[in-house]
Amino acid sequence: MTPLILAGATAAGAIASLAVLSAKGAGLLLWPLAVATLGAAWLLMTRLSNDRQADARFGWSVPAIFGLSLLFAWEVVTRGFDIPRVLLPAPSLIGAALLAQAAILFADFQQTVLKSVIAGYLLGNGSAFIIALLVDRSPFLQRGLLPLGNLVSAIPIVGIAPIMVMWFGFDWPSKAAVIVVMTFFPMLISTLAGLQATDRMQRDLMTSYGASYGQTLLALRLPAAAPMIFNALKLNSTLALIGAIVAEFFGTPIVGMGFRISTEVARMNVDVVWATIAVASVIGSAFYGTITLIERRMTFWHPSFRKARG
Amino acid sequence: MKSLLVSSALVLAAGIATGASAQDKLTLQLKWVTQAQFAGYYVAKDKGFYKEAGLDVTIKAGGPDINPSQVIAGGGADVIVDWMPSALATREKGVDLVNIAQVFQKSGMMLTCRKDSGVTAPKDFPGKTLGVWFGGNEYPFLAWMDKLGYATTGGSGVTVLKQGFNVDPILQKQAACISTMTYNEYWQVIDGGLKDSDLLVFKYEDQGVATLEDGLYTLGKHVKDPAMAAKLAKFVKASMKGWDWAAANSDAAAGIVLDNDASGAQTEKHQKRMMGEIAKLIGSNPKGTGYLDPAAYDRTVAVLMGGKSAPVITKKPEGAWTHEIFDKAK
Repeated sequence: MTPLILAGATAAGAIASLAVLSAKGAGLLLWPLAVATLGAAWLLMTRLSNDRQADARFGWSVPAIFGLSLLFAWEVVTRGFDIPRVLLPAPSLIGAALLAQAAILFADFQQTVLKSVIAGYLLGNGSAFIIALLVDRSPFLQRGLLPLGNLVSAIPIVGIAPIMVMWFGFDWPSKAAVIVVMTFFPMLISTLAGLQATDRMQRDLMTSYGASYGQTLLALRLPAAAPMIFNALKLNSTLALIGAIVAEFFGTPIVGMGFRISTEVARMNVDVVWATIAVASVIGSAFYGTITLIERRMTFWHPSFRKARG
Repeated sequence: MKSLLVSSALVLAAGIATGASAQDKLTLQLKWVTQAQFAGYYVAKDKGFYKEAGLDVTIKAGGPDINPSQVIAGGGADVIVDWMPSALATREKGVDLVNIAQVFQKSGMMLTCRKDSGVTAPKDFPGKTLGVWFGGNEYPFLAWMDKLGYATTGGSGVTVLKQGFNVDPILQKQAACISTMTYNEYWQVIDGGLKDSDLLVFKYEDQGVATLEDGLYTLGKHVKDPAMAAKLAKFVKASMKGWDWAAANSDAAAGIVLDNDASGAQTEKHQKRMMGEIAKLIGSNPKGTGYLDPAAYDRTVAVLMGGKSAPVITKKPEGAWTHEIFDKAK
């Protein structure tokens, strides 16, 4: 059984099952077909995972097949058991909503991601980075500001979102402010920890070169801190998107992903809600992935990336 | 050993005795937080009207992002207080909601505007920012804007804000007008420091776009099930008794509501005022409190379907109300 035959069998089974679903009436035929399809997909993934050569060339294939199998099972179960649309729509319905509402979803993406998330993310991380450098230089800030930072990090987002709406109005600035509050602390702590990451020997070497504080920072301490800083940037990329969406559950203009989710749920348009969730997860992953790629380029010297370069 | 047997037998007997007189459980989901808008139900519970009817009613408070229609669709309640537009829109999406009693005969909804925003009549709305509640409460507003022919996406039409739990947008001039109820938010604006003379009010009733508000809804399958229907009839009867008592003893009813407000957010002054306004909306129907007037239902459907661009409902609902339960409750 070569993977190729298995792949063919899986595809044929999937097509046949969906055809039976659309035909309705051949209910008895559906379940064996669906189970056989999923079984073929399972075998195919096992083969691909055990095959070293295939793994090198088609590393993406197993997760892709796995994802497609999940979608297939979801489709068959929701339509086969006739689950009400308002509880769980089939993936095909969600896909249809994605296409039909593309213009609205794009407007939401612009409002939430391009305005709130990017502004809040840059402001939150940027200010935390600068404050971290200041704290690093002055002991009194370290003793005074850090406990306050701890306090701020514990503020519940649903508590500050309405207050930010009062301060900064309904539009994106209030959402960006919520993101700043959410992302500030992880970045501050990670940057500070990163700046502590060099050991005495390395710093002594810089001193014996006669390097100034700024030169030591640029040549030694910041590069050493980079892995920690990137960790915070990655964590904050997901926090920022979540923060923006939750903040939009409060006063908002009538556009944005959070607004869409809260409104369409109440209107029982659950397919649109799922479509928005799909968009949000793709954007979140892309955001995270982008930061990871930048990290690889900038911290290529780090042991965890050496193997990847071969 | 013997004493153990005797005592366990006694425990069993006691269990059976209490089991026999157990009350029928029923869960009611409110449309909003605990306040005089729902005084009738709290009165019926506290004065023991439900108990007399053999019911054990759990009252679940709502909130800004809770849509009762959704709660009942998800199985979180047996009966809900909801507005007709939201109930009919949900019905069109495949949830079989049926009106079994209509408590409020009149709509209490209005748009409250600041005079200094330059709004003098609905013709001034374009270009202005208006606050609207969502979560199923946006339908009357959308139907009204549709009737006026204004788009709700900004630009040449009106700019809509999703209004939160409070009336800040009008106090802070973030919006020219906000949605208010005669019995609640309007007074919050007044308490917020604006005077009656600073404000202009557009009642939905006067604009010819009023839709029926607080009514009791349940699922069609409950109405068809004789045991459940009997239980609901008892519930409606006891609830309406509570409403009549609340309307007659407005201040005492406000006190009962305050006793039930776990959040402690409500004030006595505000609740007494609210109860007075609510009593006006219940009116005195010759057929009894809670009677759904079919003509008012038809008017609501006409408003919701009258939309040119985006009607709230697309086809005439069938079987969306019944007098069956109400007549049984007589």
